Amino acid sequence: MEAPPVTVMPVTGGTINMMEYLLQGSVLDQSMESLLHRLRGLCDNMEPESFADHELVYLLKGQQGNPFMLRARRSLLHPTAPWHLRYLGQPEVGDKSRHALVRNCVDVAASHSLPEFLNEMGFRMDHEFVAKGQVFRKGAMKVVVSKLLRVLATGNTENTEPLSLSYLVELSVLAPAGQDNVSEDMRSFAEQLKPLVHLEKIDPKRLM
Amino acid sequence: MMSGGPAVRVSIESQCERQVQEVSLDGLETYVPPLSMSQNLAKLAQRIDFDQSSDSEQDGPERESREPWSKPEPEEDEGAVKFQPSLWPWDSVRNNLRGALTEMCVLHDVLSVLKEKKYMALDPVSQDPSVTKTPQVFQLISKKKSLATAAQLLLKGAEKLNKSLAENQEQRRQRDFNSELLRLRSQWKLRKVGDKILGDLSYRSAGSLFPHHGTFEVIKNTDLDLDKKVPDDYCPLSVQIPSDLEGSAYIKVSIQKQSPDIGDLGTVSLFRRQPKAKPASQTWHVKLEAAQNVLLCKEIFAQLSREAVQIKSQIPHIVVKNQIISQPFPGLQLSISLCHSTGEKRSQRASPEKSKPDDHLYVLEHNLHQLIREFHKQTLSSVVMPHPASAPFGHKRLRLAGPMAYDKAEISSLQQSEGLLEKIIKQAKHIFLRSRTARTIDTLASRIEDPQIQAHWSNINDVYESSVKVLITSQGYEQICKSIQLQLNIGVEQIRVVHRDGRVITLSHQEQELQDFLLSQMSQHQVHAVQQLAKVMGWHVLSFSNHVGLGPIESIGNASAITVTSPNGEYTISVRNGPESGCKVLVQFPRSQAKELPKSDVLQDARWTHLRGPYKEVHWSRMEGRNFVYKMELLMAALTPCP
Repeated sequence: MEAPPVTVMPVTGGTINMMEYLLQGSVLDQSMESLLHRLRGLCDNMEPESFADHELVYLLKGQQGNPFMLRARRSLLHPTAPWHLRYLGQPEVGDKSRHALVRNCVDVAASHSLPEFLNEMGFRMDHEFVAKGQVFRKGAMKVVVSKLLRVLATGNTENTEPLSLSYLVELSVLAPAGQDNVSEDMRSFAEQLKPLVHLEKIDPKRLM
Repeated sequence: MMSGGPAVRVSIESQCERQVQEVSLDGLETYVPPLSMSQNLAKLAQRIDFDQSSDSEQDGPERESREPWSKPEPEEDEGAVKFQPSLWPWDSVRNNLRGALTEMCVLHDVLSVLKEKKYMALDPVSQDPSVTKTPQVFQLISKKKSLATAAQLLLKGAEKLNKSLAENQEQRRQRDFNSELLRLRSQWKLRKVGDKILGDLSYRSAGSLFPHHGTFEVIKNTDLDLDKKVPDDYCPLSVQIPSDLEGSAYIKVSIQKQSPDIGDLGTVSLFRRQPKAKPASQTWHVKLEAAQNVLLCKEIFAQLSREAVQIKSQIPHIVVKNQIISQPFPGLQLSISLCHSTGEKRSQRASPEKSKPDDHLYVLEHNLHQLIREFHKQTLSSVVMPHPASAPFGHKRLRLAGPMAYDKAEISSLQQSEGLLEKIIKQAKHIFLRSRTARTIDTLASRIEDPQIQAHWSNINDVYESSVKVLITSQGYEQICKSIQLQLNIGVEQIRVVHRDGRVITLSHQEQELQDFLLSQMSQHQVHAVQQLAKVMGWHVLSFSNHVGLGPIESIGNASAITVTSPNGEYTISVRNGPESGCKVLVQFPRSQAKELPKSDVLQDARWTHLRGPYKEVHWSRMEGRNFVYKMELLMAALTPCP
């Protein structure tokens, strides 16, 4: 009996290459209320959506230098919702004048057996944290205001302590590659939040 | 009296020897200069009345002189004195002193008595108000002055307030730019870009995905001539809306008979409503609302035309210029058009075909607006928000498609299956079907009088379903003959009829089917009525058939027949009623009453003559009675002999 045909080449195509445009900033705890009011007024008219997520960062250390990183995230408020697996590529170095950080992004929804699966694949969990806050949207733009909490005991999300006295503000858009008006829109939106919070592109490489 | 106590020194001082002539302004007193010796002597001499010296007239002066004599007489026993006692200078002094002494002694006594507190007590004396009598005038004047100052202050304050109030009113009338801007900001979204104030009148923040920017600009109106009077509708703030949103628009949905030629299409629909006069001077809120309405109409039409082109349907929809034409039913045409008039001079003349004013289905236009708003709300519902927060936006059930390994059928069942156009076509079909059903029932009701047809429409309807209860009754016999009751459920393309006896029949949208059905039901009703009437009258039903197989074939439905016999069995009425052939009533008489029967020898007994014999047809049209059942009742009554 013949072995079933196995494709040697990796399967490419079929999905659009999505890029994530990102701007980040932070705001102190005491200014959070005014920022929330501002966002409530600027963004689409919905009830504010709160979230509480538990994110695990997995690394696959190969023989080469750079480990491969994947982020697995689940919602603590909606335990039945699927896990979200995300790969973020290197930020595109192209245009210096581009206002937002652009990087390749792959989003996959996964079932609840994701952590075991990643462990079997050889990934090891590097660190985990809990993020709590609110999500706003304006058209295609998503504004996430989150408080990052450190997990004290591995796997135990009840015992957490805040990492800092401020909130992380992220403005992101998921769009196909090559759309520059997206970063323009993001910049004009960030202008409107200007005195409260400064959103700018922060290169993650420089933080390492 | 003068017994105890130490001696009191009394100092005597003569009065001021010299009189004060005047007091100068600085207080210096000017005394009258004292009299000199000669002047004094002269004065004294003047006092001597030389007429007194004679004895004859001594009454007056003597009396006068005797009086002071009597006083010092007990005191002074001496003879004549040099001076007359009244002229003794210290006399008055002495008298005064004595009086003072007396007073003091009395006072001393009173006080000593008072000290005992047994016989006398001290009481305060009320103040004499006449003490202040003298300064009252001054008080009045001073009060008047102080009141005047107070009044002055109050008047000044009131004047200031009046002035500021007048200023305020003047300002409000002139409608300051900033206050107008505040009002504008309370209703519309504004933002400042550079030195321009821009606003957003699109529905994007409400969930729309229409790519129009919808930006308007706020301008300050500075062309006011301050010398001339401010016009009443002057506003310091005006808005500039995008040029393609000017004027006003609406979506016209209408159902017409199908136009025979496609070349007739493409004429721009006539904008029936009058555009408002002077659009330039409209206030900003009217302008903005009109522009927003235009934008929404454009979005609705864009969505509809996109769906008309993309969605495959049996009969393709035609999109021509500003019209979308589709065929809900054969021979019928549904046209949805965007009528946009810019409010300028009407360059297009009225097209030759005048659209009837009630052609426009306002309900559907309203429903289109509602549907697009529903669509907006769905993009904003919290179902779309990602949990976990890093996930992309999308329906939460679709996010399960990957992990749960949905196949294409399941995914397509999750996604929105019906678009705006399909929904509105279905609604239009239903509306049309409903109105046609109503028309059918009404024409039948007005045409046919004998069994009456009543329609009770239900108040609560759905966009896709309505219901009506149809009753077929005879006038005057509603309680007896109520066997035909139909419940019609009018759907999108079909009518479902539920009969009282439980039968469910589905009719298509054809008007003729419903009419035929109702006619057949009416004919059945007559026969049912005879059955019910027989029960009431005591007649017996011999046979009854809803669908007889005998006699001429009806083109609509079937004929029904019934045979009833009288209580004593002598007479029989046979009725055959068909929708087309009408009713035929035959009466069977006993043999004894039939005249044309030949006498036969076979039957010898008399009792055989009581059997029923031949039938005779009744001239039903000449029968008395206003409807079939009444006639039948009369017939039955006539054939029932009185006991």
